[in-house]
Amino acid sequence: MEVEKLLEEALKQKEVTRRTFLKMMAGLGLAGLAGSVGGCLRQHEVAAGGEGWLPYQYDVAGTWPAHVRGRVPIDPSNPSIMRDDRKCILCGQCLEICHRVQSVYGYYELPIRDDIVCINCGQCSLACPTGAIQERDDTEKVLKALKDPNKFVVVQTAPSIRVALGEEFGMPPGTWVTGKMVAALRRLGFHAVLDTNFAADLTIMEEATELIKRIKGELPGRPLPQFTSCSPGWVKFCEYFYPDLLPHVSSCKSPQQMFGATVKTYYAEKRGIDPRKIVSVSIMPCTAKKFEAQRPEMISARKYWEKKKGPDFAKDVTRDVDIVLTTRELAKLIKQAKIDFPRLPDEDFDPLMGKCTGGAIIFGASGGVMEAAIRTAYFFITGKEPPPQLLDLKPIRGLASVKEAAVDIPGAGTIRVAVCQGMAASRQVLDIVRAGKAPWHFVEFMACPGGCESGGGQPRSSVPQANEVRAKRTASLYAADARWVWRESHENPDILKVYQDFYGHPMSELAEELLHTHYTSRADKLKAIQPSEKEKPWEQYYPARLTPEI
Amino acid sequence: MKGVLVDITRCVGCGSCVVACKLYNNLPWSNAPHLGKDAVLTADNWTVVKEFDVSKGKESVWRFVKEQCFHCLEPACASACFAAAFRKTPEGPVIYNERVCVGCRYCMIACPFSIPKYEWQARFPRVQKCQMCFYRVKDGEMPACVSVCPAGALKFGDRDALLKEAKERIAQNPGRYVNHVYGEKEYGGTCWLYLSDVPFEQLGFRTHVSTESIPHVSERVTKWTLPVAGGWAAVLTALYLATKGSGGAEKSH
Ligand code: SF4
Ligand code: SF4
Ligand code: SF4
Ligand code: SF4
Repeated sequence: MEVEKLLEEALKQKEVTRRTFLKMMAGLGLAGLAGSVGGCLRQHEVAAGGEGWLPYQYDVAGTWPAHVRGRVPIDPSNPSIMRDDRKCILCGQCLEICHRVQSVYGYYELPIRDDIVCINCGQCSLACPTGAIQERDDTEKVLKALKDPNKFVVVQTAPSIRVALGEEFGMPPGTWVTGKMVAALRRLGFHAVLDTNFAADLTIMEEATELIKRIKGELPGRPLPQFTSCSPGWVKFCEYFYPDLLPHVSSCKSPQQMFGATVKTYYAEKRGIDPRKIVSVSIMPCTAKKFEAQRPEMISARKYWEKKKGPDFAKDVTRDVDIVLTTRELAKLIKQAKIDFPRLPDEDFDPLMGKCTGGAIIFGASGGVMEAAIRTAYFFITGKEPPPQLLDLKPIRGLASVKEAAVDIPGAGTIRVAVCQGMAASRQVLDIVRAGKAPWHFVEFMACPGGCESGGGQPRSSVPQANEVRAKRTASLYAADARWVWRESHENPDILKVYQDFYGHPMSELAEELLHTHYTSRADKLKAIQPSEKEKPWEQYYPARLTPEI
Repeated sequence: MKGVLVDITRCVGCGSCVVACKLYNNLPWSNAPHLGKDAVLTADNWTVVKEFDVSKGKESVWRFVKEQCFHCLEPACASACFAAAFRKTPEGPVIYNERVCVGCRYCMIACPFSIPKYEWQARFPRVQKCQMCFYRVKDGEMPACVSVCPAGALKFGDRDALLKEAKERIAQNPGRYVNHVYGEKEYGGTCWLYLSDVPFEQLGFRTHVSTESIPHVSERVTKWTLPVAGGWAAVLTALYLATKGSGGAEKSH
């Protein structure tokens, strides 16, 4: 019946266009299929669809993919990521990674409250095969600032982007492009090209000091183990799902924010630049950094100037970090400016906040913050340079999701540390801490599997992000560390100078004001669901390496 | 008779259902927002997920409402259409035939939910609305949008069973829902049923409505047919000119 009708309809058409022909053929197929399922096209007493016409315009599916699944919810006002629905093919990869690797989606009860829970990590943007999910594009803001003659635009570059930026220009993963990156930034017109690595060394000075004070019991209300605080995705995760553990999180700001607070105070004073004119831009491997820079408390340079020159002056000092671009956005700027990146000469960072150590370089890989902190803590405790095995701390390097090590430091005994990457895997360590059974003194958490080198803003050299790419970028970071003049953060001459001339000593009053912060529980934003004991969905991606006894 | 149960307390606002509808029905992406506070049904947006920031007790909460045709048990659009371009199928979907439609748009006037939309900018305009994925439902499959919902906010099944389940959910989760299944009785009942934890009137639903179907409404409408028919071409032209290029005709609802 349907077949006849369709043919009739088709014949009535004055001309059989390609579209109507395809529709007719597909309709025949559909009708045939329905017929054979229903029993060889026999006459029904009541035809499917009831008496009367069947609408022909619905009978062909549109661009309907073979496999469709739901996708992750994204708040249109999310500061980090956005989605172009026209590109979405409902493959469900974003949901998969958010749920299984980050344990965010699906780990809170419904109905939701007044938040679309997201830790801004951007891992979904690395998993999305069509590029529908991207970072929120802030390149226009940077171009505008660069064109403004009244602004002094400084830029900082995170440790991990120099081993990935080259991939956007056809270089193999892990290619070391620091010199070219600096040259490109100068050609884009930035007034000062400085290094987040400097601030990573600064972070280690502060964080190692804090760790020692915690171990000695000098910081009441701040228990062991100390948790790292440089991954803003991780910090937000802790605020959502483990708010009871926030006292464990180091009060140190992340390198990006330490840099921002220092550049608008110390750097401005040293170079005699009006802090109100400084636009502080950062290039990050991370979409969560866009969120971090907008946190309400991250505006401490203004407070500094308020004390110094009064509120009238200070009100025009903007955020410590004004604009955050991802590695991908920087690549876009370079391409738009038609800069031939691979042919650029190698150039050096500007003075004052441009030097770094190997300890800062390895911040870009999972385990790096921990290793750098151990090196400097060893020096702070013993007054001696760490032994060679501490400069190559193999147990906490690599792509296992949870790693452990125990380090003997004379005068402090055995220091036990753990390193976690990916939030789902981190839960097992967090649950041990919550149960009060943690053997560790210090735990590093990175929201993204692999650490910053595989952050949500890095080039999409393979989709989804492959461990081969991760391993190459990581290897390049450790190779640079091995060949660097200085290996330990306290050896950085720029760091010695900033303490001598400005901060005094780690955790001084001024350092507390500019380099340390506090956290907010987000428990009121959701009702968390605890994963079951047995469920370890991340294991198939990143097996854990828990070493019970070392 | 099939139906879909929408549990607003489970919706996370991901918009998968909206994308599914676009893909399955080959609908173009237009400038009219399909997600968020300004989401609006248009000839190209057969379904949208609309955000409402409301208060629930002392809490302020975000709720998302998937909007589309309700597929009334006795659809006013069908009774208003003198060309019989709309009809109710025994499976549930209320479907439309663009070949039969003369473009009078009485369906749009008659629909108590203002669902049917007109392709104002097209050379041969059609009336457009959710078709409840008729060919899928006819073959026993769930509609495209239901098939992708990751949060379990949409459930497809026999309307009677869904209604029973909706009432069970209310009974078994005291305090979770408002004690009302929207669509059970509204305008004589609809195939799409809704459960919510905040009062429906705060979520853009038309409440305090007749629980009777409205063939009498459509009768009233058809009485105007002849006098209006003479002038409809002029009205249509005027409307077309008034809205041409603005793309905003649908928003005026
Ligand atoms: S950014 Fe991270 S937490 Fe947010 S939706 Fe994507 S994967 Fe999930
Ligand atoms: S990964 Fe990208 S294409 Fe796939 S469902 Fe998510 S947003 Fe859509
Ligand atoms: S039932 Fe089909 S036509 Fe209706 S909203 Fe869902 S996908 Fe769109
Ligand atoms: S797919 Fe489901 S959860 Fe997502 S917006 Fe639609 S109804 Fe809500």
